[in-house]
Amino acid sequence: MTNQNNLSPESSLNTIHSTMNNAQSALFMAGTASILLMWGALTAVGYLADFAIANLAPDFADEYPWFRAPLWAVIVIIGITGSSIIGSRATLNLADPDTARRAGLKVFAFWMVVVAATWLIPGLSGLWTVAEPGQHIAGVSVGIIALGYILFGLISRLAISVLGIGIGASYYVPAHFAGDAAAAITAVLVLILIVAGALWLKKTGVQ
Amino acid sequence: MTDTEHIVLNETIHQPTRLRIMTLLVSQSEAPRLTYGFIQSNLNLTGGNLTTHLRKLEEANYVQITKEFHKNKPRTWIESTKAGKEAFAEYYTNLRNILGL
Repeated sequence: MTNQNNLSPESSLNTIHSTMNNAQSALFMAGTASILLMWGALTAVGYLADFAIANLAPDFADEYPWFRAPLWAVIVIIGITGSSIIGSRATLNLADPDTARRAGLKVFAFWMVVVAATWLIPGLSGLWTVAEPGQHIAGVSVGIIALGYILFGLISRLAISVLGIGIGASYYVPAHFAGDAAAAITAVLVLILIVAGALWLKKTGVQ
Repeated sequence: MTDTEHIVLNETIHQPTRLRIMTLLVSQSEAPRLTYGFIQSNLNLTGGNLTTHLRKLEEANYVQITKEFHKNKPRTWIESTKAGKEAFAEYYTNLRNILGL
């Protein structure tokens, strides 16, 4: 038996398994770091706009309490379009077009299900018609998005799951303890969290 | 002397970086070939390091390197050859035999 380059059989087997684990999800992760940064910025803008409208234009917020729905719809549409473009370009740089298309469609379908759930679940459970629907819908939607990150992390990189837990905590903790400043605090926390997550992913070789 | 002491691991593959490259190439069931950039970023390698090891794998006929133009930009594709897949499978089997798995 040879023992070149100080690589023991045990470490060789570990190398094979760890490389396989990373490789299997690599195509699904293409562009994730850039996409995360974009979503971090968009989410922060959303929460800051929410905070600004509620505190600087309270009359407007009282008259149009549903202002959050179009605000977040626009942000989500920009985010989905941007993610699709970034993800598609990143995947095409890694593998042949057919493989890239298959991987891209799987990831796109996964996140579209998550986004659809943030609209359907509150709607089907009657949250649109309760008193102060904004708070309830936001609470449920953030939970669904956090769950999406956790599930995506379980099939790709565990760091994404940790990010999902962080995103949930960034919303729920300020919402319960920070009163009127909750949206602004959430904006800052989400931005810090997502930038840290994106940097960590880039460090581990995810583009 | 046990039987496992006679097992010889393939010297070309039994090197940390080349082992990772070969693993990446044979484990991507959905992608028959990968770009140079994908391998470099996925394994966190410098360009020089990756090129050196790819050359050794190419000399052993374990990988095939092709250069193409995509939208006027050069792109280098790497894929494992039949000989490369067989050598990796044999290496993996030998490794498991040595470890008694």
